[in-house]
Amino acid sequence: MWLSFTDKLVGYPERWVGLRNYLYLAHDDTFHTVVRNSLTFTCASVALKVLTGLAMALVLHATWRWRNFFRGLLLLPWITSTVIIALTWRWMFDAFPGRGFFNSVLLDAGLLTRPIAFMATPEGAMAAVVVANWWRGFPFFGVSYLAGMQAIPGELYEAASVDGAGAWRRFWHITLPGLKHVIIVTVLLTFIFTLNDFNIIYVMTRGGPGTATQVFATYSYEVAFNQLRWGRGVTISIYAVPLLIAVIPLVSRYLLRERAA
Amino acid sequence: MNPWKAATVVGLAGFALLVLVPFWWIASMSFKTYEQIQFAQSIYVPRPFTWENYTGLWLDTRFPLWLRNSAITAVVVTVITTVVSCLGGYAVARLRFPGREWVASLILILYLVPPALLFIPLYRVLAELGATNSLMALFLSYPTFTVPFCTWLLIGFFKALPTELEEAALVDGATRTQALARVLLPLAAPGIVASAIFAFTLSWNEFLYALIFIQDERMITVPVGLNLLIYGDVFHWGQLMAASVITTVPVVTLYMFIHRWMVEGLAAGAVKG
Repeated sequence: MWLSFTDKLVGYPERWVGLRNYLYLAHDDTFHTVVRNSLTFTCASVALKVLTGLAMALVLHATWRWRNFFRGLLLLPWITSTVIIALTWRWMFDAFPGRGFFNSVLLDAGLLTRPIAFMATPEGAMAAVVVANWWRGFPFFGVSYLAGMQAIPGELYEAASVDGAGAWRRFWHITLPGLKHVIIVTVLLTFIFTLNDFNIIYVMTRGGPGTATQVFATYSYEVAFNQLRWGRGVTISIYAVPLLIAVIPLVSRYLLRERAA
Repeated sequence: MNPWKAATVVGLAGFALLVLVPFWWIASMSFKTYEQIQFAQSIYVPRPFTWENYTGLWLDTRFPLWLRNSAITAVVVTVITTVVSCLGGYAVARLRFPGREWVASLILILYLVPPALLFIPLYRVLAELGATNSLMALFLSYPTFTVPFCTWLLIGFFKALPTELEEAALVDGATRTQALARVLLPLAAPGIVASAIFAFTLSWNEFLYALIFIQDERMITVPVGLNLLIYGDVFHWGQLMAASVITTVPVVTLYMFIHRWMVEGLAAGAVKG
C-alpha cells in the first residue's frame, strides 16, 4: 500500500516535462466540456441525493414497525455492483433493443406513440447517468441521516410542540440543525467520489453521445488508453486535484473531530 | 388513520417501489428468451418462463471462469486487507508512538483519494513489476483502497473497546501479541467481520482497475466480463441479466447477515457514498 502511494509520484515528472499538456488542455474545447459535465453531473447527483436522503430518513424515522427491514431493503442499491446498476438503467432508458422500461410504461399508458431514444440526446444521456448515480447513492444518505435523526433528543421536539411550533418549524429549526454535521460530511465525501466517478458513465454512455457525458475519469481513460497519451491523461486527473485538495482536508477535519468526540 | 401515518405508508411504499423496480427488471429479464426480449413481448412478467439464459451463460460463455477470478480476487484481497488493517488499526488505536495522530489522518486522507486518480500511475508500477494481465495485479492494487478504508473503520472499533481487559491480560503475564489475539480480536469480532465484508464487496464490485490492468479474457473479473457480453456482436441482454442475478445474490446474502453491523459502520460516517 505504501509503495503504491509513493509511486503516485512516478506520474509527477510528466507534470514538469510536459507543462505543455496543461496549456493544451486549458485551450481545449473538449476539456472545457469535460469540466462542465463533471460539475453538472456531480452537483445534480449530490443535490438529488441530499433531498431524497432527507425524505427517506423522515419516512423511516416515522415508521413504527419493521423499520430495520425497510432500512435493509432500501440499502440494496448501495451494495449492488455499480456496473450492474449502470447496465440495468442503461437498458431501462433504452429505446432498443426490445424497448426499455420507461418507453414500455409510457407507451402502455398511452402517453407516447413511439419510443423515445433517451440516451441518444445529450441532455437525455446526462439525465440518465445522473438518475442512475442518484439511485445508487441516495440510500447511503438516507441511512446516514436516519442515524443522525435518531441521535436528536426527543425532548427538543416535545418542548417545541409545547411552545406551539408546527411540524415544518420543528423540522427547520431542530431536525436540520441537528443533521448539519452529517449533511456536510456526506455531501463532501460524495462530492469527492462523484467528481471522479468512472463506472456509471463508462458503462452507460462511454462519455457519449459525442462528448455530452464525458467527465474527468472517463476522459482521462480515453486519452490515456485509447489515444495512448499518458502524459495528457495524467494531466486531466491532476486538473481535478486542486478541487480535491480543497475538499479533502475539510472532510478529514470533520471526521477526525467526530472520532475525537 | 391520521394523515402522518398515511403519509409514512405512502412514502415507504414509494421508496420500496423505487428500489425494487430495477431489481425486478433484472430478475424478470433473466427468465425471458432472446425473442421475447427482442420483440418486447410479455414485458412486465416473463411468460413463458425460461432458464435458457442461465444454462447458456454457464455453458457457452466464460462466465464461470470470470466468477472464479472474482471469487479468488475478493477472498485474497479480503484476507490481506483484514490482516493488515487489524494490525494497523490496533497500532494506531492502542500503541503510543510519535506521530500517531498524524498516521491516523494520513490513513483517512488515503481513503479519500479517489481510485480514478491513481489508475495511470498504478498501471505503470504494475507493468514494471510485470504484474499486469494476471490476478496478481488486482491482489496488489485493490488493497490501495480497501486497506485505508478498513483500517479507518477498525481504529474506531478498537478505540471503542475498554482498555482495562487488555491491561488485565498484560498484568497476568500475557505478551502483547497474546493480548491482541486472545482478548482484543475476539471482542472486536463484529467490527472485523463487518470490515472484511466491506473489503469483499468493494473488490467483488470493482470495475476500473480490473478493466485497465487485465486484458486476457480468461483472467478478467465478472464486472468487466459483463461489459464484454454487451459489446460483442449481439446484445445478450438475457444472459447479462442472468449474470447480474448470479453476481448480486452472494453479496446480498452476505449483507443480510451483517446488515446491522454495517449500519453501525455507516453511522461512524466513514463509508463511500
